[in-house]
Amino acid sequence: MARMKFLCDSERCIECNGCVTACKNEHEVPWGVNRRRVVTLEDGVPGERSISVACMHCTDAPCAAVCPVDCFYTTDDGIVLHDKDLCIGCGYCFYACPFGAPQYPQKEAFGVRGKMDKCTFCAGGPEGKDNSDEERQKYGRNRVAEGKLPLCAEMCATKALLAGDGDMVADIYRERVTKRSGRPQSWGWLTAYQEDV
Amino acid sequence: MSARVMLKAGSLAVLALLATGCGRATDVTVYEPGVYKGPKDPLVKMHATAEHKALLKERFTKGQTDR
Repeated sequence: MARMKFLCDSERCIECNGCVTACKNEHEVPWGVNRRRVVTLEDGVPGERSISVACMHCTDAPCAAVCPVDCFYTTDDGIVLHDKDLCIGCGYCFYACPFGAPQYPQKEAFGVRGKMDKCTFCAGGPEGKDNSDEERQKYGRNRVAEGKLPLCAEMCATKALLAGDGDMVADIYRERVTKRSGRPQSWGWLTAYQEDV
Repeated sequence: MSARVMLKAGSLAVLALLATGCGRATDVTVYEPGVYKGPKDPLVKMHATAEHKALLKERFTKGQTDR
């Protein structure tokens, strides 16, 4: 069975932040929330690496395990989505997520959290009809329903970020590693999917 | 006399009220923990079809494979 996965090839990521911009623009993500961001390790020193991070849509999602109102569900292809109408903004998922994916809009006073927001793999949420106005407003555009894949990966200039069927993603990455004769560094895969490339 | 009757009626009413608290409600909704309770996402059904999976695979091959 196909299983949707993200993979960021740190050898190829040039920290252009194109994925971050694409995501924010496509889904009109509110201020203070970044569904995707680029993290740079060893910045400015030889061996510097950048990785594009967002919700990895984990196999055994810890966010779903700790949610007290069970607002998470997983599609047939392993995309982890949530219902903003059920979310109470408790923040448990934020603490449970190993990737820091869940974010909260900071609109209210006294640190009151709004509804949690995270990457949807461009698959929207449980809002009546796919790509309805309500769905767009709450979760952003539903590209998967249109037969498309996440925009962050589709517009990555260096093809560092891959998103799609896990087996196909792994095949591409393995081929790259073989060509450049290095060790595979599929960052986050072991944590998210309990398996390496 | 009427005060006695009223007192009796009052105490009966209080007893009746207290007795209702001892009953067991039968229409309680018991949810299974860990089970999503929100509305169904139409995408889930569409996403499970072979045509949709093939469409996404084709999209991946066109856009993300190395040339």
